[in-house]
Amino acid sequence: MRIGVYVCHCGRNIADVVKVRELVEFAKRLDGVAVARDYKYMCSDPGQELIVRDIKEHNLDRVVVCACSPKMHEKTFREALKRANLNPFLFQMANIRELCSWVTQDHEKATEKAKAYLKSAVERVKLHEELEVRRVRINPRVLVIGGGIAGITASLLLANSGVKVYLVEKEPTIGGKMAKFDKTFPTLDCSACILTPKMNEIKDNPNITLLTNSEVIDVKGYVGNFKVKIWRKPRYVREDVCNSCFDCIENCLFEKPEFPSEFDEGIGKRKPIYIPFPQAVPPVPIIDPNTCMWLNGKKCSRYCMEVCEPKAINFDDRGEEIEVDVGAIIVAIGYDLFDARKIERYGYKKFSNVFTAIEVERMLNSSGPTGGEVIVNGKRPERVAIVHCVGSRDEGNRVYCSRVCCMYSIKLARLIRERTNAEVYNFYIDVRAFGKGYEEFYKKALEEGIVFIRGKVAEITDHPINDYEKSEVEKGRVIVVAESTLSNSIVRLPVDMVILSVGMEPPKDLEKIKRLLKLSTTPDGFLAERHPKLDPVSTTTEGIFIAGCVQGPKDIPDSVAQAKASAGDALTLIERGEIELEPSVSEVDKEKCSGCGICVPLCPYHAISMVRYNGRMRAEINPAMCMGCGVCASSCPSRAIKHNLYTTEQIRAEIRALLA
Amino acid sequence: MDMLLNRLKELTNNKYFQCIQCGTCGGSCPYGAYTPYTPRRMILAIRLGMVEDILNSNAQWLCTACQTCTSRCPSRIQITDGIIPALREKSLLEGKVPEELSTALINIMRYGNPFKESPMKRDGWAKELDFEVPTMMKKKSAEVLLLPECFGAYHRRCKQATKALAKVMKILEVDFAILGREERCTGDHVRLCGEFALFEDLMEKNMKVFRKYEFKYIVTHDAHAFNALKNFYGLNVLHHSQFLHDNLEKLKGMFNELDYTVTYHDSCYLGRKNGIYEEPREVIRSIPGVRFVEFKRNRENALCCGAGGGGIWLDSVMREFVKVRPAEDRVREAKEVGADVIVTGCVLDIPMFEDALKVTGLDGEIVVKDIAELVLEALEGG
Ligand SMILES: Cc1cc2nc3c(=O)[nH]c(=O)nc-3n(C[C@H](O)[C@H](O)[C@H](O)COP(=O)(O)OP(=O)(O)OC[C@H]3O[C@@H](n4cnc5c(N)ncnc54)[C@H](O)[C@@H]3O)c2cc1C
Ligand code: SF4
Ligand code: SF4
Repeated sequence: MRIGVYVCHCGRNIADVVKVRELVEFAKRLDGVAVARDYKYMCSDPGQELIVRDIKEHNLDRVVVCACSPKMHEKTFREALKRANLNPFLFQMANIRELCSWVTQDHEKATEKAKAYLKSAVERVKLHEELEVRRVRINPRVLVIGGGIAGITASLLLANSGVKVYLVEKEPTIGGKMAKFDKTFPTLDCSACILTPKMNEIKDNPNITLLTNSEVIDVKGYVGNFKVKIWRKPRYVREDVCNSCFDCIENCLFEKPEFPSEFDEGIGKRKPIYIPFPQAVPPVPIIDPNTCMWLNGKKCSRYCMEVCEPKAINFDDRGEEIEVDVGAIIVAIGYDLFDARKIERYGYKKFSNVFTAIEVERMLNSSGPTGGEVIVNGKRPERVAIVHCVGSRDEGNRVYCSRVCCMYSIKLARLIRERTNAEVYNFYIDVRAFGKGYEEFYKKALEEGIVFIRGKVAEITDHPINDYEKSEVEKGRVIVVAESTLSNSIVRLPVDMVILSVGMEPPKDLEKIKRLLKLSTTPDGFLAERHPKLDPVSTTTEGIFIAGCVQGPKDIPDSVAQAKASAGDALTLIERGEIELEPSVSEVDKEKCSGCGICVPLCPYHAISMVRYNGRMRAEINPAMCMGCGVCASSCPSRAIKHNLYTTEQIRAEIRALLA
Repeated sequence: MDMLLNRLKELTNNKYFQCIQCGTCGGSCPYGAYTPYTPRRMILAIRLGMVEDILNSNAQWLCTACQTCTSRCPSRIQITDGIIPALREKSLLEGKVPEELSTALINIMRYGNPFKESPMKRDGWAKELDFEVPTMMKKKSAEVLLLPECFGAYHRRCKQATKALAKVMKILEVDFAILGREERCTGDHVRLCGEFALFEDLMEKNMKVFRKYEFKYIVTHDAHAFNALKNFYGLNVLHHSQFLHDNLEKLKGMFNELDYTVTYHDSCYLGRKNGIYEEPREVIRSIPGVRFVEFKRNRENALCCGAGGGGIWLDSVMREFVKVRPAEDRVREAKEVGADVIVTGCVLDIPMFEDALKVTGLDGEIVVKDIAELVLEALEGG
């Protein structure tokens, strides 16, 4: 064995404390060491060249570098070995900076410790074997789950750069929450005007296959090679032939819309055959099997079918399972809203004056159920209270701040004031107007005479405590109770309308998606990113990215930025064409494996599965999914799992040398 | 000051530091509009080193430990069991104690009850019954230990409820006994008033007595005693509404029809503090002929009767600040929902509401009954 040992000064970082010359002399005396040198900066070009030259001239077959943390430069030196035609894994680094020179001023002790690390690296590297990097091809298609603004944005970016995209949306139309709003903060531009062109682009882009009313039901495989099963629920109207004349809706047995419209949050009505909103994409009606007479086995002449000229109505639609192969997946299933009924004292669903913000968004929308009129109990409200932080910043419900409620509350306040001239009161804990143009937006609201009272609403009641309140309650008002914390007084304000600014929650389908894609969540319940700062749109599963509110509450600008980032990351992956798989992973010796299965649930990356081998069930590790953490190897009772770069022998040699 | 901070840390599990000054507590407190220091303002003043200002204002005494603030606080801060008693403790140590309360505490220390009554007379109520209620001293073991607590044992009105409960037990042929003169205040109000040493002392003495005898569980109609025994003594205890509920099948067979419109008042220490909402309602609803109506503010949002946490001995302090006492607002609410009977789950509620009925002039229209009294009435035939 011919080992080369290189001791780095790291300028003065190491050399000022550790006696590098002494270290080199020490190395030279070790068994198997052919060359030992020190140099000012091993990571510099000349430093690396030193190694390359020595490998060639002295026929070295192993290399040890004593320098900084392998996190910094392991890759650099492995590349140097490669350039000298030596397998890059015949290399070991000893960290004598963070672990020696940076932790003491004692030259003697630091040098002793450095020697121990050096020796253990030498003993370990002797046991290293050549490892081969494997390559797999990447399927260049991408699956996007969720068609809100985040999913739409990511799909368009990918499709426009030539990537084939499957966009799966569980509702009958794409658009997500944004499609429900009338205006958006902070610019108050019309939501539909900026969203619907993008929705139409999705429809018209030949690279995008849009699957609405559909859900992902199974995902197999790994980065670059996912096999996905999608369930398209029956729509009963054929998308390929419908010409969007909507004669079917017009001629439905039900002359008037009678059933609560999901899209209108229940404040509007629809027929059994309906289109969620006029600009829905695809612009194709859907039949709700729960309310349609014919689909419930009742009598109906099926006028819809009769009048449909292109014969698009298909009562025999049973739905279908669709299978697609993709290389990357973007999860953009958005968020759900906090259920205001959970805070009983706010009287939601008890008082007809109390609404959630999203219901008011529909009310304000000019194509919504009231045509943009704000109407409470049959009349325009004269005084309105907006209750911030409903369900958010509350340890009994959701601990986190939902980030958008302050801003949308101010938006709703301004819109209501503009439409009805009502007095509007915002009850808030802190106004968080953090974004670009947001503080200005808040100021504008103040200027318009909207009142802000600092205090979280304690309760909303119809129980009067004096004659004045009694007469107010008799007028149909409810009383909002809060401590005005800035004036140290208790406010009891009778109002005609209360808007609850409900916070965001992880979408209810997240549990399912998380299981299918083997993802994890942060304590708040939203999807976990690989690194909260430096890798915000990747997940712990290679090839799966996240965008929009499924990662945590955010506004539209942030959702869009994140969507573009995730599309960018997916593109980077696809553009490579193939990926190198780290060879420092774990492997199962199927002869030794007893089939106990202990390792399967332990693997944080879900890389282990049980397969049939010679008639018995044995563990198998998918090298593409293994991240080399080694949990399985250390837990296997049969010692059948080996980590390529952390074998028991290697670790033992390392420890023995350290303790010697 | 250090002692106060340590007490706060201990009682609030360090949470006291996490107040976000939202004001939910102040808006929720029945005294919020009258007190110079809502819980939020107290926390702020402590942070600013202005504790003496709070104590001098007497705001620490303007709390009936209703737990509304605590149950709503988004930072989950123990205000009722933490902030308030900690401030009261400091106030006690500085000798700033309202007269009435001070007398009650001294009496509890000396006589084991706040009324300066002889411990020998603690079973006086039982003597008024036409059957014998056995004591543990004689019986040594029984299935149920009936615990009337101080009000239930001595108070002229409250002991009627105790007697009703004993009669129901007798009808149900329950094997029960009482501690009689060995019984002593369980101390929940003492604790909530910040007299921690006295509370510890009471608990120790009581535990000695409990350990002498064998019983499966304790039944009490005093929601504060129930709370102390359950959460501090760690004993097996049932509130009498739970006990009645457990025997409901048997009771149902014996009920006669009653002609009342009944509303049920959720006591703070039954509902908000211990989450018992349904059992008493089910018992009331199962009595034939009873029309059940809810208070507008019910379950976790029910209004306090004003007796808790020593409130029953703080009337003179309250009156300095408060124009309308919560119990008065509460009986008006009962009228608003059309009730002719208010059924209560805690004996302390009865004198509070009966007094309020007089003040509001509603005493001809509405009556107050303990749930055991209502049940007994249904058993005895209306
Ligand atoms: C009342 C209110 C007003 C707001 N106003 C503004 C504003 O004015 N300006 C602003 O910047 N932000 C505003 N926001 C925030 C804005 O709604 C979000 O930032 C934005 O909608 C996030 O987009 P998204 O695509 O991540 O999520 P979503 O809009 O929730 O879209 C997610 C999509 O995924 C679909 N989906 C869910 N589960 C599945 C599944 N299992 N399979 C397939 N598809 C699925 C959903 O049907 C939906 O179409 C407001 C929020 C609220 C609550
Ligand atoms: S409710 Fe809790 S967090 Fe809010 S001000 Fe009161 S103590 Fe502080
Ligand atoms: S426990 Fe009740 S009375 Fe006491 S401060 Fe809290 S809300 Fe007020």
